[in-house]
Amino acid sequence: MGRHRKTMIALGLLASAVFLFLAVRRLDFASLRAIFARADLLPWVPLGVLSYVAGHVVRGLRCRLLVRREANLRLVTASNIVVVGYAANNVFPARLGELVRAGMLAERTGIPIAQSLVVTFIERVLDGLAILLLLVVGTMNGGAPGWTGDLVRVALLVFGGACAVMLFAVYSPALVVAGASRVGNRLGPRWHDRLVGLATSITNGGACLRDPKNAVWILFYSAVVWVLETGLFLAILPVFGLAPSFTAAAVAMSVTNLGLLVPSSPGFIGPFHFFCSRALMTHGVDEATALAYATVVHLAFYVPVTLWGAASMLWYGVEVGATAAMTREARAAGKELEIGGVVLHELATLSPATADEPASAFTTALVEAIVVPSGKRVEPTALRDAADFVHGQLGSLQPQLAMLFEGGMTFFRLVTRVRHLRGYCDLPLDTRRAWTLSWAESRYGLLRKLFKPVRATALLAYFDHPAMRASIVVPAKQLARKKGAASSAAPSGSAATGVEAE
Amino acid sequence: MKTQVLVIGSGAGGATTAYELARAGVDVTVLEEGKRHDRAKTYGLGTTEGMKHLYRRRGMTPILGRVPIGYVEGSCFGGSTEINSGFWHRTPREVLARWQAQFDLEGASPEELAPHFAWAEEALSVSLSGRPFEKSTEVFARGAAAMDWAAHEVPRAATGCKSTNSCAVGCPTGAKQGMSISILPRAEAAGARVLTSARVRLLIKQGSRITGVLAEVELEDGARKLVRVDAEHVFVCAGPTETPALLRRTGIKFHVGDTLRIHPMLKVVARFRERIAAYDSVLPVLQVREFSPEVSMGGAFFTPGHAALSLSDNWDPARLDAIENMAGYYVAVRGRGRGQVRSSQLGDGETMLRYELAEEDVVNLSNGLARLATLLLAAGAEEVYPTVQGMAPITSEKQAIRWLDERLPRSALSLTTVHAFSACPIGERTDRCAADSYGKVPRWDNLYVNDASMLPDSPGVNPQGSVMAFARRNALHFLSRLGPS
Ligand SMILES: Cc1cc2nc3c(=O)[nH]c(=O)nc-3n(C[C@H](O)[C@H](O)[C@H](O)COP(=O)(O)OP(=O)(O)OC[C@H]3O[C@@H](n4cnc5c(N)ncnc54)[C@H](O)[C@@H]3O)c2cc1C
Repeated sequence: MGRHRKTMIALGLLASAVFLFLAVRRLDFASLRAIFARADLLPWVPLGVLSYVAGHVVRGLRCRLLVRREANLRLVTASNIVVVGYAANNVFPARLGELVRAGMLAERTGIPIAQSLVVTFIERVLDGLAILLLLVVGTMNGGAPGWTGDLVRVALLVFGGACAVMLFAVYSPALVVAGASRVGNRLGPRWHDRLVGLATSITNGGACLRDPKNAVWILFYSAVVWVLETGLFLAILPVFGLAPSFTAAAVAMSVTNLGLLVPSSPGFIGPFHFFCSRALMTHGVDEATALAYATVVHLAFYVPVTLWGAASMLWYGVEVGATAAMTREARAAGKELEIGGVVLHELATLSPATADEPASAFTTALVEAIVVPSGKRVEPTALRDAADFVHGQLGSLQPQLAMLFEGGMTFFRLVTRVRHLRGYCDLPLDTRRAWTLSWAESRYGLLRKLFKPVRATALLAYFDHPAMRASIVVPAKQLARKKGAASSAAPSGSAATGVEAE
Repeated sequence: MKTQVLVIGSGAGGATTAYELARAGVDVTVLEEGKRHDRAKTYGLGTTEGMKHLYRRRGMTPILGRVPIGYVEGSCFGGSTEINSGFWHRTPREVLARWQAQFDLEGASPEELAPHFAWAEEALSVSLSGRPFEKSTEVFARGAAAMDWAAHEVPRAATGCKSTNSCAVGCPTGAKQGMSISILPRAEAAGARVLTSARVRLLIKQGSRITGVLAEVELEDGARKLVRVDAEHVFVCAGPTETPALLRRTGIKFHVGDTLRIHPMLKVVARFRERIAAYDSVLPVLQVREFSPEVSMGGAFFTPGHAALSLSDNWDPARLDAIENMAGYYVAVRGRGRGQVRSSQLGDGETMLRYELAEEDVVNLSNGLARLATLLLAAGAEEVYPTVQGMAPITSEKQAIRWLDERLPRSALSLTTVHAFSACPIGERTDRCAADSYGKVPRWDNLYVNDASMLPDSPGVNPQGSVMAFARRNALHFLSRLGPS
């Protein structure tokens, strides 16, 4: 074991110990006892904690998806990374937990720290948008004080701006890298390489959002995370005899979390209580109860996650140190490459090319409807291979075209469901074939264009498949026999008819 | 360490450039986006595998416009020459004269280009097949003779062709002289280094020079790196669409990507009385030049899959039962419309292609279809199925010649093309050219284009010959400026 590696392991252990100490030191056991004495804690607090903890598992799912191109994180690891960030925020001031989390993500996945920070940034932007949405939902029925409207506007400005920056970096990576190259070149080769490397890391951070399906899942997870967090705020309402109202919980949750965006004391003690109680008071709750409510929510928010985070840190402490050392070693070695006599200056690591995936059930059903003629037997291997081929081909379209195609196909599936009251894949083959053909040969050019890529590639792959070829092309051996038959046939038209009859 | 000349792309233009420069002792590095394949393992495997391994975006690079046009190009060691049919033409005299007149193109008279064509023809053993025609060519020749139209066998860069019908998926026998088997080995023997799986993303600019490139490189273990390669001179030979796209991504846009030209092509499948088995032999090698350079006709690559594809505009799968009596043909026009190459602002700056058919294109395609169908009927075809949506099969001369007077409906056309050029036209006319007569990009001291994108306008014939002749001429011109190395 190298010296460097030993030092890193020692540092990892030390960090874990300090972390635990800070976490325990912050608990105020006296006030805890007083509040617990007058509250109806069961079953509400455990339910709230469950909802909140479940939210962290969903955050783990989201994080896993965000770095999917770079690393195959296990859900446990991804959730632990997320929780370590939250726990660190609970013990370090000024949201320094975000840095800890980004660092750990980088170490676990091997992605550059800049990229990891971008992933964190994206999560925060999506969180902000989800919170904002819930705040709007919570204040929609009117009666909310004027300042909530102001809060919505300010948050919209902040997250809208951040979202625009995020979308630019995610969807125009070439422009970002080109810009970095241009600026960097003015500063000299070393700066050029650094800036381009940084820009690449930044744009890689959002790469997963370029896949529309991933993007939708990530948005969905973001919404679920905050609905579950609202679940915590909702579950604690009955603890103080308050009616469980989703809108009140949504407002309390949103206002509290927006307030916490301001970097503050460790564990957000103070700001949390302030924003949470103020939000609840807008629903007519008196100040004392609102404060007690805020205290319990804060404890439910603080204790389990801090303990989980501390345990994770302890668990990973040794390994984090080891991975960090290895990553450093690898980075130091990889600056200049020589391949086949060509000297290459390495600037950044890119995500590896993804392997071909098998076709979805929908694509397979679509291909089947296109290629299998009525009354003919389907050639299963040809169908499977053709569907996989079509899937790969559609995935190779330029992103803009791929997006249009996806949109068009979603529309097609929706219309199918409305028209046939069933999903496309559940339709019998004959119905599916006729229905698909009616679109693919529609008198509307746009619909024909939508089906063109899938139809062209499906037919090409199916009829050129060796299994199909063998069944439609006359093998050379049979030719002699066939020639004999053909020569006795009438000269015009019948030869083709003869072939058709076979 | 800097390479003296960096060549981007290893197709017809890039291979020729690399060879000539390396032969003269210049230190040359070629970066090629595609992979270097083992011929025995990857070539001739069939349509789907061929598209996966040898084509850009697996063949999914449509040209958008009111009439979308299917377009493919190669992306592998050797570029499109690995998947083309090897048909060889010199640039017609008339076309060169036009280029001279319209673009002030210097040093490109037929006489000046002749030695370069001769060199390429020798290097690729361009010749006539010297064998009896396959059935699909034979019937086509019969039709041309019946019409009394000028038609001739086109020389090919494929001596000893074994008629495996694999041109479009990589020639497994090595008969076709793609760059991977002809020029690139010579370039490497002369000292050029070729790095495959290396996609250039951006040229690095400093002042009036290009100092190198940013490239994505895939290593043997599958890891991908973003790297910088430094160079004293850069030749962009990334092909007709990628060269302009790369320049534009870099911010070099002056007359770049605004004048894409293509040869729009309409295919037909003809069903004959006799057995043709076109799927088992090389595509028809005869071309009708009676109406050239505006309209030409010839044979198309044909397999059961391609037949199904061509028949899909008026889909009746039962027609495929007569596959052994079928063959595919095309009518191609010189393309008077105008296209654009743009690098998208979104994503990795993907190349987006646009082309709008000119009115003459539609007229020429209509007339061409009329003539091609007439020829095929005269050759004994019973039915001709055009790739025009909603059009019944053509079974009589009367039905065919209708299109001499009428226009095919644009919205019903299913067009394809494999010939693209002219998005970075060369010449001395600064009001319309992206580079000077020898491919040097103005305002940049050390940047050149040297591939199909430089052809000032559509050549009206298969372009590989023109690309190689011009590329060699430009490389030698560069060497003469460089002085003794
Ligand atoms: C199916 C088909 C059939 C054809 N048939 C004929 C025929 O019979 N006769 C004829 O004369 N012509 C034919 N052509 C056209 C002919 O092949 C092309 O005109 C010619 O190859 C163009 O040469 P090029 O050097 O411009 O481009 P290409 O030969 O296409 O080479 C460009 C190379 O650059 C590489 N590249 C692109 N971008 C980058 C990047 N950013 N970084 C690194 N590398 C990059 C590509 O991967 C490719 O290998 C055919 C073309 C096709 C596709």
